[in-house]
Amino acid sequence: MVSETTVTTKTGSDKWGILLNSLSAVMILTGLYLAFVFASPAANLKAPAEQFAQRIMYFHVGSAWVGFFAFFVTFAAGITYLFKRTFVWDNLANSSVEIGLTFMTMVLVTGSIWGKPTWNTWWTWSPRLTISAIGWLMYIGYLMLRSAIDNPARRARFASVYGIIAFLSVPINFMAIRWWRDIHPAVVGASANEGQGGFNMSDRMTFTLVFCVIAFTVFFATLLYHRMRLGKTEHEVESLKQQILYQ
Amino acid sequence: MADLIYLMMAYAAFWILSFALIFSIFSRQKKLNNEVAMLKQLINDNSPQD
Repeated sequence: MVSETTVTTKTGSDKWGILLNSLSAVMILTGLYLAFVFASPAANLKAPAEQFAQRIMYFHVGSAWVGFFAFFVTFAAGITYLFKRTFVWDNLANSSVEIGLTFMTMVLVTGSIWGKPTWNTWWTWSPRLTISAIGWLMYIGYLMLRSAIDNPARRARFASVYGIIAFLSVPINFMAIRWWRDIHPAVVGASANEGQGGFNMSDRMTFTLVFCVIAFTVFFATLLYHRMRLGKTEHEVESLKQQILYQ
Repeated sequence: MADLIYLMMAYAAFWILSFALIFSIFSRQKKLNNEVAMLKQLINDNSPQD
């Protein structure tokens, strides 16, 4: 897990930050190349628009993985905070939600764009899409809850409990296309009969997908590192203000 | 070109949202760094002189 400690060189630069930034940039750009050039087209998709749009999958699935993983981090950090009651766990939970929410927004937007040439609609109230939208709203609620509570300890406690409950939406979302009839195809395993837009993946497509998921994980770690540093500075500002108040 | 429009829109969305988050984090960090410096100066100014 990303540490809050920053390692600085003699010149005062942030070594971990630079390393993570560079690694993320290289991996995301490589993923882009793989998605556009290396990965083979889906042979069973006949319409050119649908064939090109299929390449959205690599970043769509990567974003979904990061969104789900980020909310799991919030879930785990929330549980740990309730036991340990130290700031670092609340900072981790909050930072992870902000990043997870951004990636879930990417999922909804890219999915909608992919849906138009594939399903001839920008949106449909299928189980997967509906639960994704509800999950997104639940985590917006997490941030609203935090902003409504001034007391840091109470804010952290309430947010931890909320983050634990909100995580229920993630496994339900993942299993939705397996439990219920859904137009959304499965990437892993067989789609339901109603699934549209699915395809058998070639080795190149599988490699590209796996690489993009790893690249997005590194990108998430980088963003989490920087967001947690921000959280630490926010905490420092709160402490300094308290110090001035009681001086 | 018309067939590529959906692909371009989706990847544009990814980049826009990514850079929006990155910009948000770094601009808030800069603002808070300035606030920390100002608060520390205030504490130093208000601390009792020996």
